[in-house]
Amino acid sequence: MTTTALSDPVLEELVEILGADHVFTGRSARFNRARVPAPFPVHRWPEHVPDVVVLPTSAEQVAEVVKLANRYRLPVVPRAGATGLTDGAVPLRHGILVDVKLMNRILEVDLEDRTVTVQPGINMLKLNEELRQHGVMYPDDPASYPCSLVGGRIGTSGWSLIGGRYGHARDLVISFQIVLPTGEILEVGDGGGRKIRKSSTGFQLKHLFMGHQGTLGIVTEATLELVPRPEAEFSAFFSYPDYETAWRSTAALARSGLATLAGVVLFDEWKVRYLRRDDEAYIPQPPEVKAVVATALYGTSDEVRPAARRLLRIGLASGGEYLGDEISQGDWASRHDRYATPLHGRLAGGQVVPMSWHCEDAAVNWSKLPRVREEWHAIVERLSDRHPIFDDWGMFAYTNGAYKPWGDYLTEIDVGIWEQELDDESWAAWVQAKRDIAEVTVRHGGSISACHGACRAGEVDLVPLELGGQFDVMKKIKRALDPLNVMNPGKYLLDQAYEEETS
Amino acid sequence: MAERPATGGSGHGALTEEFVGEWRNAAYNCFSSGHKFCREVCPVMQVTRDEAHSPTAFHANVVALEQGHLTLEDVARDYVHCTQCGACELRCPNTLFTGDFYRFRTRTVDLVKAMRALAVDSGIHQPAWQRWNELTDRWGNEPVLGNIIEVSQRHVRDWAAGLDLPVGGETVLFCDCEAAFYRTSVPRAVALLLQHAGVEFGLMREQWCCGGPAAEMGYVEQARRFAEHNVADWRAAGAKRILVLDPHDYITFTEDYPRYFGDDFDFEIVLVVELVAELLREGRIELTVPIDRVATYHDACRLNKRKGIHEAPREILRAIPGLTFKDVDHVTQWSYCSGAGAGLGIERPDLTAELSRRRVEKAAELEIDTLVSACVWSERPLGEQGREQEIEVFDLMELMAESAGFEV
Repeated sequence: MTTTALSDPVLEELVEILGADHVFTGRSARFNRARVPAPFPVHRWPEHVPDVVVLPTSAEQVAEVVKLANRYRLPVVPRAGATGLTDGAVPLRHGILVDVKLMNRILEVDLEDRTVTVQPGINMLKLNEELRQHGVMYPDDPASYPCSLVGGRIGTSGWSLIGGRYGHARDLVISFQIVLPTGEILEVGDGGGRKIRKSSTGFQLKHLFMGHQGTLGIVTEATLELVPRPEAEFSAFFSYPDYETAWRSTAALARSGLATLAGVVLFDEWKVRYLRRDDEAYIPQPPEVKAVVATALYGTSDEVRPAARRLLRIGLASGGEYLGDEISQGDWASRHDRYATPLHGRLAGGQVVPMSWHCEDAAVNWSKLPRVREEWHAIVERLSDRHPIFDDWGMFAYTNGAYKPWGDYLTEIDVGIWEQELDDESWAAWVQAKRDIAEVTVRHGGSISACHGACRAGEVDLVPLELGGQFDVMKKIKRALDPLNVMNPGKYLLDQAYEEETS
Repeated sequence: MAERPATGGSGHGALTEEFVGEWRNAAYNCFSSGHKFCREVCPVMQVTRDEAHSPTAFHANVVALEQGHLTLEDVARDYVHCTQCGACELRCPNTLFTGDFYRFRTRTVDLVKAMRALAVDSGIHQPAWQRWNELTDRWGNEPVLGNIIEVSQRHVRDWAAGLDLPVGGETVLFCDCEAAFYRTSVPRAVALLLQHAGVEFGLMREQWCCGGPAAEMGYVEQARRFAEHNVADWRAAGAKRILVLDPHDYITFTEDYPRYFGDDFDFEIVLVVELVAELLREGRIELTVPIDRVATYHDACRLNKRKGIHEAPREILRAIPGLTFKDVDHVTQWSYCSGAGAGLGIERPDLTAELSRRRVEKAAELEIDTLVSACVWSERPLGEQGREQEIEVFDLMELMAESAGFEV
């Protein structure tokens, strides 16, 4: 069996650090850690296969592996759930893949100061199963809630479906321990106290070490927020005769000022059409329904009951029609399973083919949503005209701000891709479409990603344009913290930091 | 869905080409999603945390085989890491939602069985499985570890000593190998309860292993031979109805045998747990002896996850006087497993022990003294871990017989 390109001394040292049981060189172990769910031409799979996989069990082991990577100048790539959509966990330059899934213990539940401290390989659903007995929960609720892991949520600075009420990963992660690209173990928080939520001491480094897609280190422990399990949940879905009414109604609902409002979700007419066409689980709506808005409230019953009445009033007064309890409760309850809308799509002639789901996301202000939407659909239409293996599955817009869900929106366009047929030409067309989508976002004053990160081919080209001078600071920081460029190299155009150094 | 011939391209054998052709689209349906909802519910993944053991990898490997990136040799060993409990299929969004449209259902268990069969047919054996199946073939029954009774056809009915059970008849009780040679109290309990309720039944003339374990480990030809033997024995005995006390056998008789024999397979397969629950409802069995225990129920994977049977065992437990029953719902138990299934305990006994330890630990959190199962194969590893954690493990039929006033 072919194993790996790494030299024997590296493997010997890794075995010394981790033990032979936690160092994998077999082809299956490596190929199965090359991908994330984002579509990719399957014939190019071997381009991103790591040379060796390690499964550490402690921060000290991770630190030793990173130091070794520096000694040998080998890429080192962190991987948690590998459910991200921007290739953060993909080893673009091969090297040592650090899979943190074995580090999945709960280290401390502190019911006095309301924190839980965990290792990075734990999943939120599993964590909440354990927390239930204490009447608390960790409310980070991405679409990937049943499968993504805390370490990846920090590396992505991910977005939560109920973030309007509870905040997103950056609001919920209080502090963490991270192994820096040079192997030092650092405690990062809002100030120095591990369980302090707000500090004004020193630089605020917590945000710096979140959302870097593994380019600034590997999280080995995290202290997270605990909130009371909500007594009451209320969800309401409204339908509309046209997009514009739904868009205005979304604003009315989001601006309601209800503190229990977890989020507002706008389905555009492409999305409703797609669901009606190809998703039997979606309760069919009459043809006059062109757009849908979903809302959800969480909190104590004393708060949620009156808030629900008010929410319904606003929805109806702004042109919505209540879709009934079945779809309101059922569709909201199934929101995580809906995340995976893969399996099939259609060619232009209506022929059903197996398709992979991909989603391009952005943060866009409310006022810009209609224009961005039109331009994005036009981009995908041009793409699928030339390459019928792409299918427009419509758009969502979700309230984006934590606790202030009214100014900006996470908007996404879902595109079905017949990945089995993806050749180099259609892949290049897809990458260009992603670039065009990102360009529209930036032109309208948005941000290329609210949720996934922006380091895949295509959109990443626009990151310097979006960030301007901030990108230069990013490069300086990267070079200062990772002088040899070993930590997840090839992401976010950060190689440029080193090119400038040599020139 | 569009079909196209498998390309292979890396010099795979004809068997692999055929396999890839059959599974490529199903595998792609998982690969294209790649979201891995299955991972955290998979009992084996919860222990190994090794992505190569995930149902996602089991599917992705087919795509990699087709593309020529991996070979059967690269992946065969990974497929040991599955108890065929079916949790991943239940949790798969493709099964839950989008699959509705085309009646698609993720079939990881079938894929694992097919991949194991492909390995065996291609000459790739896992040593402990090979030995196990050789002995099964030689003895007619599984080489049950640490057997109480010598495994042989001569002793296959020893468990029934003194019960005066006939051989043959319209209704035949099929006794699992583990029950016949190791945990004999289970079939004795079943026989006593059925006799008491006036259910007429006999035993087989020559009962071989059901063949299910061989099929699960990839020894398909052997499994088929055993099935043919047993069906011939049933016919010779004049049987029309087969009573099954073990969930693994129940899967074999309701899924494998109909596949082997098609419409010719016209036997009624009756799960004993469901039958005795019915007898209890009808008042033909009365539970009067109090059982002074605090118990929880371990949902047998093959009943709960594979067959959706979780009510009957709970109904029986609630009917036992004196018993304090602390239930954990059957959906939570999707992620539980003893680790005894599909040969894991033969090839990776360390993993089976750890799965069982975690299962018993979950039970211990409920502050109980008794863990009740309805799967005889689970009871040995659970019992071993139970002893460490001061929890006794019983079969539901043992407890029921005791409450009905029998000594087993």
